[in-house]
Amino acid sequence: MPIGTLQMAHADALGRNFLFEDMTMQAARDPSGFNLSFDPARLRRTVLDMAYAGQTVHIGCAFSIIELLAVLYRNHLRFSPADPKSPSRDLLVLSKGHGVMAQYACMREIGWIDDDAVSNYFADGSMLKGLSDSRVPGLEVTSGSLGHGLSIAVGMALGAQLDNSDRRVFAIVGDGEMNEGPNWEAMLFAAQKKLNNLVVIVDENGFQAMGRTDEIIALGDLAAKFAAFGFDAVTIDGHNEAAIDDALITFRNDGSNRPKALIAHTIKGRGVSFMENDNIWHYTRLNEETYRDAIAAIGVAQA
Amino acid sequence: MRQAFSDSLVRIADADPRVLLLTGDHGYALFDAFRKAHPDRYINAGIAEQNMVGMAAGLARMGFRPFVYGLSAFVPVRVLEQIKLDVAHDDLPVIFVGDGAGFVYSHLGTSHQSLEDIACIRAIPGMTVLSPADRHELTAAMDYAHAAKRSIYLRMGKADLGDVHASNSMIDVTRLQCLRSGRSGGTVILATGPIATTALRVADQVSGAAVWTAPLIKPFDIDALTSICRSAGRLVTMEEHSVIGGFGSLVTEEVSAIHPLPVLRIGVRDRFSEHCGSYDYLLREHGLDLDTVAAQVKAFDARN
Repeated sequence: MPIGTLQMAHADALGRNFLFEDMTMQAARDPSGFNLSFDPARLRRTVLDMAYAGQTVHIGCAFSIIELLAVLYRNHLRFSPADPKSPSRDLLVLSKGHGVMAQYACMREIGWIDDDAVSNYFADGSMLKGLSDSRVPGLEVTSGSLGHGLSIAVGMALGAQLDNSDRRVFAIVGDGEMNEGPNWEAMLFAAQKKLNNLVVIVDENGFQAMGRTDEIIALGDLAAKFAAFGFDAVTIDGHNEAAIDDALITFRNDGSNRPKALIAHTIKGRGVSFMENDNIWHYTRLNEETYRDAIAAIGVAQA
Repeated sequence: MRQAFSDSLVRIADADPRVLLLTGDHGYALFDAFRKAHPDRYINAGIAEQNMVGMAAGLARMGFRPFVYGLSAFVPVRVLEQIKLDVAHDDLPVIFVGDGAGFVYSHLGTSHQSLEDIACIRAIPGMTVLSPADRHELTAAMDYAHAAKRSIYLRMGKADLGDVHASNSMIDVTRLQCLRSGRSGGTVILATGPIATTALRVADQVSGAAVWTAPLIKPFDIDALTSICRSAGRLVTMEEHSVIGGFGSLVTEEVSAIHPLPVLRIGVRDRFSEHCGSYDYLLREHGLDLDTVAAQVKAFDARN
């Protein structure tokens, strides 16, 4: 039996597949169980709590991909809440590992991370690191050295294709990360092999570590570049959940044999006005005052 | 040895449908048999080694068993970080085959000469490192690598120097292999890779010298080394690789803890090749030709 058979799945009115319908429905009914609404404000609150508890950086990197992850987990990724390593799951490769707190926040909603892991973030002997680590159930790759994840995702997509499986692979890369050469190698190969089960999502927040991408290595029109490399590529507002959802649905149903690229215009630090488009929040730690102000800006008393 | 590699690869792929071959556009005639037998499992990743290794990691995560082939100057050295992070970090079952190690591509110069690969890969936690001396050790090493299901580097050096074993039927690559026994208190030569053929010829000129090969460099057969050290008077290591960080370094590190003995490390000193020339010419330039090595070993044997 091929991996990822859809015998358990059904499609809803929007064509979204739910592979684990029973578990999902059960979770939604159980008030003490998982929360699969992936509310962006709650996710941001978790990021703030982790960043404050761990006195860590990269808050802006996490905030730019909150809506992208929320829509992916809510509507597109087929996973089993009971088993983050389910062999038929879709794969989410966070190549820009610097945004990992946003993924932790989603994993907390599913129940793969508990409250202690949030309050003890960065404690000695704890599990969750400051960049994506494949040994954490729910994360697929070890990233943070940039330019690795897309190649791994292409290998996964090729594996699914070789197995005639319908498993899908989503890779999130940063725009600054597109400086790295292996991404372009991976794009060429993905198009060569017609990996239409691959969706590359570029978090185009316009910043990299030392400043604006335009002033460091200007990327130009990324959608045009992906299209020139053989992808179906669209550009959307990466904080507009309906737009993200529509684009991903179109990708899934378009019948094309090309790999997909979603260029997501985002705002680094999105959700807290004093962090937005201020690259200092790539590096700055929260103090008591900024933590309190950021929570007020998000408006979620408790995640 | 290259024929044995091709034969082993086809045989392993015949038996295991999850085996894939990835190449970075190298191995022109080498894979004719594999491509004929398993065309759908031959993946030319193009001239893009970094992406190739990342893809191999992704394929391994999907349950495949990739063999990743390249020249050892590129696989593993060029892609060391991909091996470390994407593959070795989770001990994914990917087998890296680095061909043409040492001075094999002599005329092509520094880019294709590979004298640092063992040093680089050996430092990565958990990596298994194989370095067969002849086609029999190669065949046994391929079977071991496939069965081990771990992150593995298999180093293939000069392939046409001849055999040091009669057959592969008895070779357990996890153990040091005794090619020639010597006398107690004598010189013991430990060689890895095809330079073992030189070791045997040197031993012809040194009374009571023993010769062993190390087809598996990591994890290393400490038990056999301990036993050798207890009866040896001195050790000589031989490798077509830098004396920094390679097989000689490994043996010296272990011997210093187990049973300190004088160790002569035969290998490439801390320098690049200066001139263009044949394989034999470069061995002479680096002092790895039979005459120079034999003179060094004889002097070492007489002095210690």
